[in-house]
Amino acid sequence: MEAEELTLVATKPSFDLPTACPLCLPVFIFLKLAHVPFRLSFNSIFPDSDQIPYVESGTYVAYNNKNGGVIECLKQDGIVDLDSEFQSIPDWISIKAMINSWLADAMMYELWLGSGGRSAYKIYYSDPPWPIGKVLFLKQVYVVKQRLGITKGNAEQREDEIYKRANIAYGALSTRLGEQNFLFDDRPSSLDATFLGHALVTLHALPDTSVLRSKLLEHDNIVRYAEKLKMELIESGSSSSGPQFHSVPSPSAQRKGPSNWSKLLHLKVIFLYFFLFLLLIS
Amino acid sequence: MSNPDLKPELTTPDSKPDPEHQKPFGTNDADEEEDGDDENDVEDEEEEDVDVFGEPDRPKPRTREDKFRSDKLKMESLLRRMQSGPVSLRVHDVIVKGNTKTKDHVIAAEIEELKRVGSMQELLKASQLVNLRLRALDVFDAVKITLDSGPPELPGTANVTIEVVETANPLSGQIGAYTKAEARSSTVEGSLKYKNLFGYADIWDGSLAYGCDHSAELSAGMYLPRFKGLATPVTARAYLLSQDWLKFSSYKERSLGLSLGLFSSTYHDVSYNLAWRTLTDPSQMSSRPVRRQLGHNLLSSLKYTFKFDQRNSSMRPTRGYAFVSTSQIGGLAPDTRCLRFLRQEFDLRYAVPLGFYRAALNFGISGGVVFPWGNGSLSRPSSLPERFFLGGNVSPLCALGGPTALWGFKTRGLGPTEPKRQVHGENSDPSGVDFLGGDLAVTALADLSFDLPLRWFREKGIHVHAFACAGNVAKLTENEYQNFSVQKFVESIRSSVGVGLVIPTSLFRMEVCSLSLSPIIFQSK
Repeated sequence: MEAEELTLVATKPSFDLPTACPLCLPVFIFLKLAHVPFRLSFNSIFPDSDQIPYVESGTYVAYNNKNGGVIECLKQDGIVDLDSEFQSIPDWISIKAMINSWLADAMMYELWLGSGGRSAYKIYYSDPPWPIGKVLFLKQVYVVKQRLGITKGNAEQREDEIYKRANIAYGALSTRLGEQNFLFDDRPSSLDATFLGHALVTLHALPDTSVLRSKLLEHDNIVRYAEKLKMELIESGSSSSGPQFHSVPSPSAQRKGPSNWSKLLHLKVIFLYFFLFLLLIS
Repeated sequence: MSNPDLKPELTTPDSKPDPEHQKPFGTNDADEEEDGDDENDVEDEEEEDVDVFGEPDRPKPRTREDKFRSDKLKMESLLRRMQSGPVSLRVHDVIVKGNTKTKDHVIAAEIEELKRVGSMQELLKASQLVNLRLRALDVFDAVKITLDSGPPELPGTANVTIEVVETANPLSGQIGAYTKAEARSSTVEGSLKYKNLFGYADIWDGSLAYGCDHSAELSAGMYLPRFKGLATPVTARAYLLSQDWLKFSSYKERSLGLSLGLFSSTYHDVSYNLAWRTLTDPSQMSSRPVRRQLGHNLLSSLKYTFKFDQRNSSMRPTRGYAFVSTSQIGGLAPDTRCLRFLRQEFDLRYAVPLGFYRAALNFGISGGVVFPWGNGSLSRPSSLPERFFLGGNVSPLCALGGPTALWGFKTRGLGPTEPKRQVHGENSDPSGVDFLGGDLAVTALADLSFDLPLRWFREKGIHVHAFACAGNVAKLTENEYQNFSVQKFVESIRSSVGVGLVIPTSLFRMEVCSLSLSPIIFQSK
């Protein structure tokens, strides 16, 4: 791979997070933990893509829908690997499975169904034009129900099951974490990135009435762990020792709040075509 | 994608001579009073011949011969009067019969000319025009116009009776293969049409088309000849279009949209298009500029086309000239997040006959520019499907829709490129690139075509052509316009020369299928 700067393409920032997507934020945190300099770029027109987030450098691209996700791709391709010493730990597999299944399902449920979908709409569909965003949102809600096996007959039962498993996972992770800085041997790993991403989205993007959020708040050490790392990795700003990242705003963000001059130009162009049309039909 | 040929016939093959209405027009001055027995009719020329001259093989009684002779004299007298000057006449009443389903106002709108005539000559011309217009609605199997004298108390007047036969079978279908002059490739199309569903001469159709360039379209359309008093027909079409550009630019395009034809005349056409367009890359091999454009966009655009084509043929022009200008503005929606762009293209063609073997020199120049508009627009890239791509199998001689075709270059083969994604550990093609097109494109063409000396080739339309063409595309957006210079643009023009054999064929219901062979092509590097 050429020695070019990495670029992480993710969904746009929201809820005071560099990206509020629970799939994109772990990759961001992973690169930060690995002290890899990278640029952050946004794609706001493909919210339903399973390829996002992806990391690119020159002609190299690691997509999220390949080989277990972006983090796994980066590890397999020898670009970034934080887990080389943790694979042999007996708890590694079980904790990984718990985070990637129970907590992932809980996040999916809470984001799209449990909290009315308002947070998900703001994270993914506030940028595309209204009819497109609305249709895609409704389609995604349907897809989530299919993936979680939720029907009208078993909705309550599945909800209880999802929250129960999330609660068990939080308890186990809280015990595993204790008062350490990270989950394993006080050193960062990809599981820290994944769990931290989940925790930050839960704490900041979900509404106060969220059941999942209230269950996470019961574990103080997890909350401290999340806020501390958020401050170090995200809010610390540019630092000579920390990794640098540059964000490239989404094109749609540039369209908001047009200047008076460009508004006038827009109107002139539209009126010019309107008068031309009137001239023709007369 | 296919337009029915609406050229109506000038005669009425289905109508038969009606003995009751075969009355010759009076040769007396039209201003004189006429009694009730002296009813004068003028019908189509074929029937007129039958009425006045009869069938010579049949034995006729003397009285009937005398009647025919009298009618013939009257007609000759009338024609002499009409040749000497206008015969003053006005239309008193227009009677329409046979429209059980079609609304009266639809027919009334087509027969306005009849009420404005002031002479016999004008009435005949107007009748012909009305006949053509009613047939052009494509909802009648037959149209018959009969001219009769007006009421006796109103001399110099005529009554016009229009008899229409509404189509007996409103549902029709067709399937065929087509190659249109402006199309990128041949298409196979199947369509169903239903005429006059609501009585407004409305035509509804559904069609499915598949193109050889891996494009597919499912569409349904409606045609209204008269809508709310508008002088031009209104068309609406809902479509689902899919185009596969994976091989050339690593993306697939799918559009779900609605197209409205707002105004259409001989030279002008205005249409509005609202579409949900999605670009995807199932191969996941796209280059960086293409990856950035993958996603959903809302397209809301107004398009104005001015077309002036005086060439004698669109497939093999040998004389005449043509000019086409197309302007398109996107972003006409309250939502500021829809696609915003301005696109302008033009085409100029000129054909000079040389006077031997149907030889002709054709010259042509095409150009186009596209750029986004809005706050910070020139620092953003233009939309990929709106860009100009040069190259492909389309003949630039026939294509009259902006700079697209260029002989000797593969599809989208000209212009900026970007390397595709490289996958480690797999046998990836290191030369794999995405063709990105450009924001500014110019092409020029010179073509000499002539028939072959052998008669058989001439009869089949097989001819030879030698051509020279040149073109170039350039990027202007993402602040590249600051580095643009005309000199560099001209110096980097690509060109090709060659000769070829053109074999026009017809398959099934294909309008024209032409195969162009260019065995000798020289390209500039």
